[in-house]
Amino acid sequence: MAAYRADEEYDYLFKVVLIGDAGVGKTNLLSRFARDEFSFETKSTIGVEFATRTIHVDGKLIKAQIWDTAGQDRYRAITSAYYRGSVGALVVFDLSRRVTFENTARWLQELRSHTDPNIVVMLVGNKADLRHIRAVSVEEAQAFARKEKAFFTETSALESINVADAFTGVLTQIYHVVGRKVLAIGDDPSALPIGQTINIDMKDDRQAANKAGCC
Amino acid sequence: MPGRDNEAGGLLCRREISNGDHPLCLGNGSIWNQYFKEAMRNILLLFAKLNPAIGYVQGMNEVLAPLYYVFRMNQEGEDASEAEADSFECFVQLLSGSVDHFCQQLDNSSVGIHSTLLHFSELLKANDGELWRHLDASKLLIELGMFTFYMQMNPQFYAFRWITLLLTQEFELSSIMRIWDYLLSNPSGVQEVLLRVCCAMLLCVRHELVCGDFISNLKLLQHYPEVDLEHVLDVASHLKTPVSSYQPYSII
Repeated sequence: MAAYRADEEYDYLFKVVLIGDAGVGKTNLLSRFARDEFSFETKSTIGVEFATRTIHVDGKLIKAQIWDTAGQDRYRAITSAYYRGSVGALVVFDLSRRVTFENTARWLQELRSHTDPNIVVMLVGNKADLRHIRAVSVEEAQAFARKEKAFFTETSALESINVADAFTGVLTQIYHVVGRKVLAIGDDPSALPIGQTINIDMKDDRQAANKAGCC
Repeated sequence: MPGRDNEAGGLLCRREISNGDHPLCLGNGSIWNQYFKEAMRNILLLFAKLNPAIGYVQGMNEVLAPLYYVFRMNQEGEDASEAEADSFECFVQLLSGSVDHFCQQLDNSSVGIHSTLLHFSELLKANDGELWRHLDASKLLIELGMFTFYMQMNPQFYAFRWITLLLTQEFELSSIMRIWDYLLSNPSGVQEVLLRVCCAMLLCVRHELVCGDFISNLKLLQHYPEVDLEHVLDVASHLKTPVSSYQPYSII
């Protein structure tokens, strides 16, 4: 049977993906959130890496499992496989490089073709410490986010500005959406991991994820 | 070597190979950075121009770095461009058996990364069926609204990087050089020996893996712990070959 082991108590486990062009700072956003670390010499992410962090929302323990993906085109086919099952996404651009903002439309499209349409999305303008060479205005990014029904925030992983808020914002929103049972797999089997055994288990919201254990 | 401003081909802009891609970068002002940056970019730029279907893929810099390091250190005082030319040649040779792993269009072909990962999985199964079954059965429960489902452990989650980058992101430079000595000196060929070393890496943390769940196992394998490298290589030397023997093409 499943080797799943609940060695840590939590009420919900949410899968969140970090996507966006190469070099926008996805890995540093995650390391800042998960370990409060920042590195000037972060290596390119090859494939996917992941980290977890547990936060409190409304007295509930929410464990976020965050998948950090490679930004370069070559790795897209490999990494998009990891979108499935995610209930939240941070779509990141570098506010000092306009092209990375323009490409977020493509990232969003790809994300939505692999996930539930109700996935919680936050558009993140990273590198706010480079605001003196800003190439995307707050208003423009906000308007785009509204059009895409996404949240928007600006962060600096370097100066540790807004990073935790961005992640907890997404997680809190997911918690509320899940509470309303808005998310559903629906009729689209492509929303599920391809080629993997799926054990779908209808259960009440009040049942905690870790208490369900293996099926 | 290409001219410094030879970017007109449109295949690769020099700025696309960032300082952050430099594996030996120890800060912008470091000697490593000053000496290595230009040569590394030249080599990767030329490779991308000669291989337009593949281009520059993130991570190639990591594979190139140990080669350039060795040539540069052995040519102290001589013309550094020789180190550049020599490491370019070796880079091409080294990747000749596995360059298709960098090519998205070939991912699902018999020479692509998924095929190699399958052979890797077969190798583990032949040598430690119990560990293979345990990893295969590791599942992660995911909440999706009123549903839950399981995500299964896949060698792709950790071994993709191990194999594509010839273990360069997993170890320190001195360890990488020891492993590469082992890969290059073995008559079975770099790719086959690489899979054996990767398999041995799993066997050497077997105890932790068998006790671990999906999350702890993935964290362990994505951040491989410090181990006795000679032991890993010794284990690799004594692995059984699976019945459907993998025969990767390699000229090294």
